[in-house]
Amino acid sequence: MSSSRDDFGIAIRSALLKKGARQKFSLVFLLIIATIIFLLDSYQFKAIQFTKVIINDGIYRLTNISTAPLKLLPQINDKIKETTFAISENKKLKAEIQNFKNKEFQVEFLKNQNDSLRRILDSDAKIKGESILAKVLLDKDSPYLKSIIINRGSKSGIIKGMPVVDGSYLVGKIVEVNYLSSRVLLLNDLNSRIPITFGENSIQAILSGKGKSKPMLTYLPDLYEPYGNLTVFTSGKDGVFPPGIPVGKTEMDELDVKVNLFSDPNQLSFVTVQLINMNKDNF
Amino acid sequence: MAILYKNLRISFVNSVPLITLYYLSISEIDTHFSNMFEILSFNLQIIIIYYWMLKNSSVLGNGHIFFAGIINDVVMGLPLGISSISYLTVSFVASYIRQVTVNISLFTDWFTFLLAIFFSNLVYLILITNFSDLQISYVDISYNAFFTFLFYPFIWAVFNFYKKIMFLRADD
Repeated sequence: MSSSRDDFGIAIRSALLKKGARQKFSLVFLLIIATIIFLLDSYQFKAIQFTKVIINDGIYRLTNISTAPLKLLPQINDKIKETTFAISENKKLKAEIQNFKNKEFQVEFLKNQNDSLRRILDSDAKIKGESILAKVLLDKDSPYLKSIIINRGSKSGIIKGMPVVDGSYLVGKIVEVNYLSSRVLLLNDLNSRIPITFGENSIQAILSGKGKSKPMLTYLPDLYEPYGNLTVFTSGKDGVFPPGIPVGKTEMDELDVKVNLFSDPNQLSFVTVQLINMNKDNF
Repeated sequence: MAILYKNLRISFVNSVPLITLYYLSISEIDTHFSNMFEILSFNLQIIIIYYWMLKNSSVLGNGHIFFAGIINDVVMGLPLGISSISYLTVSFVASYIRQVTVNISLFTDWFTFLLAIFFSNLVYLILITNFSDLQISYVDISYNAFFTFLFYPFIWAVFNFYKKIMFLRADD
């Protein structure tokens, strides 16, 4: 009994302390270092926060560069498909082009009319205020966090809490700001809570991320009978988000009201950060 | 020249597991396939660390495991150091198993890997729950752990095949 306890102790000690010929650090030393870094970061120690901002910027850039060749693969695949499609389509189009020639003037007139109407629609949907376009550097999916990294940071005037939109639709908010990059917490993340309003009676609720593709409406009025296909907007009640940013459409899932987001969080390439005046008391 | 080329080739072939570990930590490539199958995700980094620390610890090295963890935390937006602690826990379990095991087979590896996953996730959850404001889905993490365990034999077979083409010295 005593001998087996001794063996156990020896094995544990050996695993923790033995470095071996090609190991520079023992496990116990690195575990202590990692724990110190973790505790300093958790308690927002200033020096480590400053170091983290620099490391974050460097690693995000490196990540972007390292995944660049892989991002080309789908593009090459698309190009091949497009070329094959173009060749087959070309044959059909040549045959059809004669028929279209007669309608050319009519089509041009309709096209111009369509374009001008589209421009009017687009200008109405845009959110007013100063904004900045940002490229999505990284959208690594994770069971822990649903977030993206963008290539704009405090240098571009970004502050924690600013809303981020894709076109006219809300996708999340800034939760971490570095000098040249920022992290956006997406609406479907488990930690995301946004006050929203919807329906003819302007019902107020909270849009809560559930870690799945569709976030859920919580804190609905007690006697409210939910139904689907209503457009959900930000209410602006938290004083952080401007009111009236479209978010998605309601969708019934048994008794829960889920929201089918207008902007797919997995398909973001460019987003716009709304440079609104942020008050630090909001966070 | 021929010796230099040979040494370079040996270094590269022997460094592939380490390069893969760093690349998985730093790149956008992930082993989370929620788009195809909602619950499917697994942690390839843990498998790499466990396998190579068990078979030949000189391939990875504790220092590299520590840095890969730090990089992973930055990319994933987790508190700095949490992945390092989790990875080093896996490394510790693998080192312990190596000390106490004589006959190594797929099934002993697979069974003991369960302990590594358990302790690694336990450390993760304790630290996140007690020292961070992050909310986590226990169901998602359970699925992740389950699939990591489930896929181990497949990755084990791939690594075992690759180990045959490596130029390894006996582990110290």
